[in-house]
Amino acid sequence: MAELTYREAVTAAISQEMRLDSNVVFLGEDIAAAGGVFKTTQGLLEEFGPDRVRDTPISEQAIIGAVMGAAMTGLRPIAEIMFSDFFAVCWDLVANQIAKTRYMTDGQCSFPLVIRSANGGGSRFGAQHSQSVENWAMAVPGLKVVAPSNPADIKGLLAASIRDPDPVLFFEQKSLYATKGDVPEDEHVVPLGQARIVRSGNDVTIVALAAMVLRAEKAAETLAQEHGISATIVDVRSLVPLDTKTILEEVGKTGRLVTVEENPRLCGWGAEIASIVAEELFWDLDGPIVRVTTPHIPLPSADALEDAMLPSPARIVEAVRQLVD
Amino acid sequence: MDILMPQLGETVVEGTIAAWHKKVGDTVAKDELLLDIETDKAATEVPAPEAGVITAIHVKEGQTVDVGVVLAVINGPDKADADPTDTIKPDLAAIRAGTSTPPAAVVVAPEPEPEPQAPTPPAAETGKRLRLSPVVRRLIAEQQLDAHQIQGSGRGGRITRSDVIAFAEARNTASAQIARPSAPAQPAAGERLTFNRIRRLTAEHMVRSKATSPHVLQAVEVDFSAVDQVRLALREDWRRDNGFSLTYLPFIARATCMAIRDFPRINASVDGDGLVMHHRVHLSIAVALGLEGLVAPVIRDAGDLTVSGLARRISEISARARDKALGVDDFAGGTYTLSNNGSFGTLLTAPIINQPQIAILSIDAIKKRAVVIEGPEGDAIGVRPIGVLSQSFDHRAIDGAYSAAFLDKLKTLLEQRDWFAEL
Amino acid sequence: MGVFFGLKTVIASSKGLSWRCVDLVHVEKISHKAQYAHIKGELFMDDIVVTKSSPNSLDTGTRLQLYRMMLECRVLEKRAYDLFMQNLIKGTSHLSLGQEAIAAGFGVAMRPDDYTFCTYRGHNHTYVRGVTMASILGELMGRECGLLRGKGGSMHLMSMEHGALGSYAIVGAHLPIAAGAAWSAQYRGTEQVSVCFFGDGTTNIGGFHEALNFAVIWKLPVIFVCENNRYMEYTAISDVTAVENPAADRAAAYGLESILIDGNDVDVVYHTAMRALSQARRGGGPSLIEALTYRHGGHSRADPGKYRPDEEVAAWLKKDPLPTYRKRLLKLGLAEASLEAIEAETEAMIDEATETARNSNPPPEDIAYTDLWADGSATWRN
Repeated sequence: MAELTYREAVTAAISQEMRLDSNVVFLGEDIAAAGGVFKTTQGLLEEFGPDRVRDTPISEQAIIGAVMGAAMTGLRPIAEIMFSDFFAVCWDLVANQIAKTRYMTDGQCSFPLVIRSANGGGSRFGAQHSQSVENWAMAVPGLKVVAPSNPADIKGLLAASIRDPDPVLFFEQKSLYATKGDVPEDEHVVPLGQARIVRSGNDVTIVALAAMVLRAEKAAETLAQEHGISATIVDVRSLVPLDTKTILEEVGKTGRLVTVEENPRLCGWGAEIASIVAEELFWDLDGPIVRVTTPHIPLPSADALEDAMLPSPARIVEAVRQLVD
Repeated sequence: MDILMPQLGETVVEGTIAAWHKKVGDTVAKDELLLDIETDKAATEVPAPEAGVITAIHVKEGQTVDVGVVLAVINGPDKADADPTDTIKPDLAAIRAGTSTPPAAVVVAPEPEPEPQAPTPPAAETGKRLRLSPVVRRLIAEQQLDAHQIQGSGRGGRITRSDVIAFAEARNTASAQIARPSAPAQPAAGERLTFNRIRRLTAEHMVRSKATSPHVLQAVEVDFSAVDQVRLALREDWRRDNGFSLTYLPFIARATCMAIRDFPRINASVDGDGLVMHHRVHLSIAVALGLEGLVAPVIRDAGDLTVSGLARRISEISARARDKALGVDDFAGGTYTLSNNGSFGTLLTAPIINQPQIAILSIDAIKKRAVVIEGPEGDAIGVRPIGVLSQSFDHRAIDGAYSAAFLDKLKTLLEQRDWFAEL
Repeated sequence: MGVFFGLKTVIASSKGLSWRCVDLVHVEKISHKAQYAHIKGELFMDDIVVTKSSPNSLDTGTRLQLYRMMLECRVLEKRAYDLFMQNLIKGTSHLSLGQEAIAAGFGVAMRPDDYTFCTYRGHNHTYVRGVTMASILGELMGRECGLLRGKGGSMHLMSMEHGALGSYAIVGAHLPIAAGAAWSAQYRGTEQVSVCFFGDGTTNIGGFHEALNFAVIWKLPVIFVCENNRYMEYTAISDVTAVENPAADRAAAYGLESILIDGNDVDVVYHTAMRALSQARRGGGPSLIEALTYRHGGHSRADPGKYRPDEEVAAWLKKDPLPTYRKRLLKLGLAEASLEAIEAETEAMIDEATETARNSNPPPEDIAYTDLWADGSATWRN
């Protein structure tokens, strides 16, 4: 085990996979010489050379088109989209081309590519550099969507994503880059499609993703110590494929579901899970399903405002308390 | 007391407040017009069921709420989360004597062993539309239960999943109970005991009481020789005539009521920046229900009762508590609380105030002790039945001097009153 | 201004026109005014004579191949037109009648392991890689024998095994993808080249710019072929483009050679293709080629093309690549019988293919739930 930061775990995963498979290549803006604007890819150029680690112009469409063309002709490329908000710039390539082409062509080709991106708020960067857009990706058939909450999962899930034969959108929460955690030093792969149970409780099941998992953990502590409410926390980790089994099982045990989502309210990822639970677990529900989300607004930049908009442990506590009577 | 939305018709499930005739803080006489309610079938004037002060109004004019929802409170503690159909819950605004160890069975008088907690039939459940969540519906259907028999611990009296499960379990085990059941088995070490409804509500109210009132503890030692003389002298006859034992508690209750006459601030409630001193003394008596929790039903107008009267009332109310036969009115309006911890054998207890009262008295073990008796010939050691009475008071309302003076009066009454004359 | 390159053999018309092909070494600047005069039909190519053969002129075999390829493309598109009129092809289709020379020229020039990318008007570009007529017609008709078993349709024809890496319905989307495939070849060190076909309208979309810049800076083995048929959907390209030659005039912006050719002369196309392919294969980087052509039909089946002036259409029909090439072949001395044989074979081919496609069933419903993922499934949950 080594203690790595979330960002170092990104580097660790990419180097792990690039060492194992010479078909893994990596491109993006400022990822090579500069080691990434978030310092997530330092040392890769030095280790793997300019043929495998390449800086691109500011050309999101070219970047994503390039990884699509490369993926369908034998490589396993990784692309970085610097801020996940920029997916909108190349969304055609992601949603219309990469996501649909295998299906449209009756399975003639596949796209073993990963597009990693810095997602989410909390950094006071303003609305166009702060949105959580994992729900955009979840809504597109043909894309796998992953969003880890801690360094070990970063390494394990990124490795799994690179090995995955399908396109994976890998969302790194930028507010977590400096967080630390124990990460296995050897080959570490965490399969997609498995949620993680962070803690177990009796009164409510909190389903959270990425940075919201840590906030849910804080809330659960407060709930336990000050309100006598014990909460289960499920870290979804992988939106597509979705570990519905675990979620249904854990909500079934408590009869209550609260989702905590950083994305804006409408059609957030939690809405889908709420819908699945409402449909498939209706007769085990002991209260309404509650979603704690960022409101349906672009994120404001002032720190006081941004902090008030993103779901806080206090808001989670309050939502749970109201629900648990 | 709670003013509930009445059911103004067989199929009516809700009503609208057309107009309030009183506002918070107003005094209202019994039967005086309180509010107008409209439904789609009728409009009705609602009179006040008792006289008093409107202490809370929860539903505004023009709002529509379900039948059974608390609209307003007269003379009462804050009933924000009290459920009018839940006989136990309103009482939990009163604070049970709290200790940090799991409570053993508390004997009030007489001393029957508490029965295991069977589900309490709700006092006024009919007419309120039942809100059953999906899991509750399913469990009720699966176990063929009657929802109306199940006590709801959720907000607004909602029946929760755990309520149904507890009800079903109790029903299944009740028949297997022996006549003198022991307390439920202690949980094994490392096992997790989920709080039942009463425990949870108790916990909540304890926390709230401590957060509301700055508690100060004062204690006095009381020599119960005078009381004992009467008690022991009358014991056999009393038991024969009344069917239960004459304990210390009625004496203490009597002395308390008398002492309160001289110290009216003890029998009061803090109201914002003032103290409301209640004219009547309504004594809350803490009653244990096995290991399942405590309740504190109220003896109304205790100040008017003699020791005998108090003894009978205490006995009756304890019995009803254990029979789960207490109603909403049994919990309403307590002004001072007695918590009898004597059977624990404890020296002293720091009880938690039963909100919105401002003081509570714990009665601990009365034991023979060696005491110094001052005589004209000098000091001597004697043996006396001594017990500590400890009062927690709300330092917002009164100061130590006042409380101490009250306790001193109480002590004096107990030690020097002619109890034979009383009985 | 246009820059021409072409055959070593000088081809000139008997009218002494100012349009000519010059040899590969000597590049002569021809005024674009003359170029457009030719295109607008003021100059005619009726009397083209090959005056001299050279080592670089095409051999008969290749010429016949080119003719056959164009003819097969033509009948394929014609049959698609007919089937649509018979309501056997649903939705819409975008036919490239009149533009066969470009697809055929490149199709013959490319190696089997080269990659092609084309637009929704890509039946021919897919066909020339070696895909069967039946699979294309079947796909257009939504049948099980279709190239994509009915899952993709006219606009998404792909055959990985033939190097036809897809037809793309979003304008400009495939240019970066083609660059990516070229990058892959470059990385793997093969001699594969990625050829990307698109229309004049594409030159105005963002992806065009990004892909070209990207391809140049990384010196990728990709050829961008702009088929300028003068109209971006229903609008004249000149109305919506800042420069006169939508692709050729922008090449300089990327440091590329400006290449403008007659897209209806399959020999020219073939030679242009060979030059660009060889440049790419030896690491010389990308090319941008603008090939002038004209579609005989409207943008799609829904479009009768009424926005084009009749004289213009008539003039271009005179430059139909097929009859003009046929004439050239005869002039070069090829026997008519050999051409007729090709024509008969082609007709039989298309009829057989049509029969096969018509007899094929619609695809079973369950295939709609397959192949979202590489493992063949479409499950997103457990």
